[in-house]
Amino acid sequence: MQYTKKDLGSFNLHIIETNEFKTITMRIVFHSPIKKEEITKRIVLSDLLLQSTKKYSSKRNMIMEAEDLYAAEVYNHTQRIGNYMMTSFILQVLNDSYTEKGNFEKAVEFMRDILYDPDIKNNSFKEDKLAIVKKNCEGNISSIKEDPQEYAIIRSKEAYDKDNPIAYRMVGYKEDLEKITVKNLVESYEKMIEDDFVDIYVVGKIEKEEILRIIKKYFKFRKIKKKKMPYEVENKPCRKRRLMAKEIIEATQSKLAICCPVGKLKKEEMNYPLVLGNILLGGGVDSKLFQEVREKNSLCYTIYSGYSKLDQMIYITAGIDRENYEKTLTLITNILEKMKRGKFSDKDIKIAKEFYQTSIESIEENPMNLIREYITQEITGIEPYQERGKRMAKVTKREIIKAMKKVNMDTVFLLEGNEDERD
Amino acid sequence: MKEIKLSGLEEILYQETLHNGLEIYLLPYENKKNYYITYATKYGSDVLSFVTEEKEEYTPPLGIAHYLEHKMFEEPSGEDPFTFFSYSGSDGNAATSYDNTQYTCSGTKAFKENLKYLIEFVNNPYFTDENVEKEKGIIAEEIKMYQDLPDYQLEMKLRENLYWNSPRKYDVAGTIREIRRIKKEDLYQCYHGFYIPNNMFLLITGNFDKEEAMKIVKETLEEKKSKPLPKILKLREKKEVVKEEETIYQNIEIPKVGVGIKVPKDCIEKEKVETHLYLNMLTTILFGASSEFRERVREDQILNDIYMEWEEEESYHTFYLFATSTSPDQLLSEIEYELSHISITSKAFERVKKVWIATEIKMMDIPEKAESNLFEDIINYGMVVEDRIDLIRKMNVKEMEKIIKKLDLSNRSTIKMLEKRSKKKRNYDS
Repeated sequence: MQYTKKDLGSFNLHIIETNEFKTITMRIVFHSPIKKEEITKRIVLSDLLLQSTKKYSSKRNMIMEAEDLYAAEVYNHTQRIGNYMMTSFILQVLNDSYTEKGNFEKAVEFMRDILYDPDIKNNSFKEDKLAIVKKNCEGNISSIKEDPQEYAIIRSKEAYDKDNPIAYRMVGYKEDLEKITVKNLVESYEKMIEDDFVDIYVVGKIEKEEILRIIKKYFKFRKIKKKKMPYEVENKPCRKRRLMAKEIIEATQSKLAICCPVGKLKKEEMNYPLVLGNILLGGGVDSKLFQEVREKNSLCYTIYSGYSKLDQMIYITAGIDRENYEKTLTLITNILEKMKRGKFSDKDIKIAKEFYQTSIESIEENPMNLIREYITQEITGIEPYQERGKRMAKVTKREIIKAMKKVNMDTVFLLEGNEDERD
Repeated sequence: MKEIKLSGLEEILYQETLHNGLEIYLLPYENKKNYYITYATKYGSDVLSFVTEEKEEYTPPLGIAHYLEHKMFEEPSGEDPFTFFSYSGSDGNAATSYDNTQYTCSGTKAFKENLKYLIEFVNNPYFTDENVEKEKGIIAEEIKMYQDLPDYQLEMKLRENLYWNSPRKYDVAGTIREIRRIKKEDLYQCYHGFYIPNNMFLLITGNFDKEEAMKIVKETLEEKKSKPLPKILKLREKKEVVKEEETIYQNIEIPKVGVGIKVPKDCIEKEKVETHLYLNMLTTILFGASSEFRERVREDQILNDIYMEWEEEESYHTFYLFATSTSPDQLLSEIEYELSHISITSKAFERVKKVWIATEIKMMDIPEKAESNLFEDIINYGMVVEDRIDLIRKMNVKEMEKIIKKLDLSNRSTIKMLEKRSKKKRNYDS
């Protein structure tokens, strides 16, 4: 496997040459500083680009074209990465040795059509296509409670600090949706193409020169972009007294979601000891939370903690019976406190390190994981994964304790199910 | 070991059956880091009643197979398998469905130790009154978690309306009331009935040495005695559905619909693998991503989301279609229309074939996906389909039309899930 990064002026091209896959995966990433009022527009825009193009007048025509390219998969995805909004257009297609010569290039051309030849006429997108996308988006916005676990996490972030980017709802907002028109979306489109930072990642069995030739032929962005703002979110300091918030929902199970902002730590501490600390806390089935709350006390089926470096936050979530709320919360509080006092063994640390090593070794198994890894390196400047494994092995117990001492429960949110269990 | 060349693919599968009937499937990859081990029994929640070795009819509480899966993780030493696997950074897991229960381990290190441990912990149950009791709270929360999901409620309601007696009308996990009755004796009874070598198999893909794997498998499993599988008691399932239509009200924002069709198996004369291919082909052409139906409902803005699948039970192939739509009635009549005006063009047919072949190749890229693909084959057909790509290539419109002519799609049940507030409004109006 060989990684090459090429600065092509207006965008970076990242080539990961490997013989491991029968597919070639390409991910075109647009990123710009996140603004709450632009999230909905971006979601609608990127979906609309996949509804039709100048050449393909309908979604069906586009899907049929992709199918004819030997089931090329084309999809998009808009997410928040720390302070940034990131929109990706992804292509996955069999490499030419399983199809026919030139198939990959045709697929890239298809991606070009999507991005550069959108269905715009007289400075507007098509009303009927926009209506389809808006309706879908509206559906996603309004059915947000149908995934109570996810909803509880969002609500806990909003309770923690509603103006912080971490609390933005990445399904969009109804009030912003209403303002979107076929005209103002053209402006958004031009802004995305002109102003967003662009990175293109390609993974697969294909020669560097050939990739370079194809990408240069089809993709041109005009502007050379300025230096970026940091990706890490700035959090308010942790509240002196915990904020307790609650919402009642028609459900049999209640969901507990806790925001634990991480206090000031060095980058090195955020990247290594804290990662291990979180694995120990609630990273998997062998974690303290899982073993204590589920296995020993039978209080839940799911419980875990997740750590986001860019959000500088550890999130804890569990699905519980409302009657066990106090008991569960006390247990979780004690588990976190015990970790700060170093109540975990060398064996626990060894297990957490092994867990991390396996995740590092699995990166090369899947093209999408590989791309995600290089995106992380690109935006955080973190060491390559091969190097990270070595560094992680050296982390000590004392370093983990020091990092975990900066983790405090700030906001406890209960999504309380008000129905009795069904037989 | 038998070598099986998978058609159109580069990989070679190795297969062997031990004297006691246990089947072994090995698909080693070069240059991959992870291995995926699955040790499984062809026993799941489909078994509602059976005849015990003492010749007695026995009906354990619903959800027993799933409960058993959870409790297999108890060890006399107190150290559970999750912990053992995590010493090497490996991941242990398990899952129960209607027709199987599987125990898995994946990782990059300690292959030999983990394989041996996985086999041994599944071969040695350890149930006590206490540890059985402890799981009730956990599984109750698992059941409640699913019960709160509208999509899940829709599916379960549709299953109830489709089937009179089939085990497919129940949730794999059972109900909270039923699982509260489970005792360790029930678990042992089911374990000894169905966790026997002639009802089990082992499947490994990814990074491992096949000779090494075979050696461990033989050491740990060859001694296990086979015995006759208990007689499973089944009730006949009527052709007609229980309820043709129902509307339910839930706390949702966008209505949902579900359509289920019970297709009697005896109306299709093809081999099982081909039957599945043709049935899938039919519904992909009718309702798939590039179908005319999808274009129409998209343009009419009456479809938010759609999901469909075929399921095979004892006497029926059942088709399920679930969708989210702001105009449920209109969408249901569009679906109805498609089902009563079936037309297949050879262009669409050939395009789907091309997509399927490409998908088969792509699947082999990721050992984890190859693993689940092979697993499905073993469960569905009792073997790995080695020439699926050839079978897809051979499919043709004429055969499809012959099948359609005989296909009985008349036993249908449809369900609508509407917003709760619409019910309130309706009550007020009346």
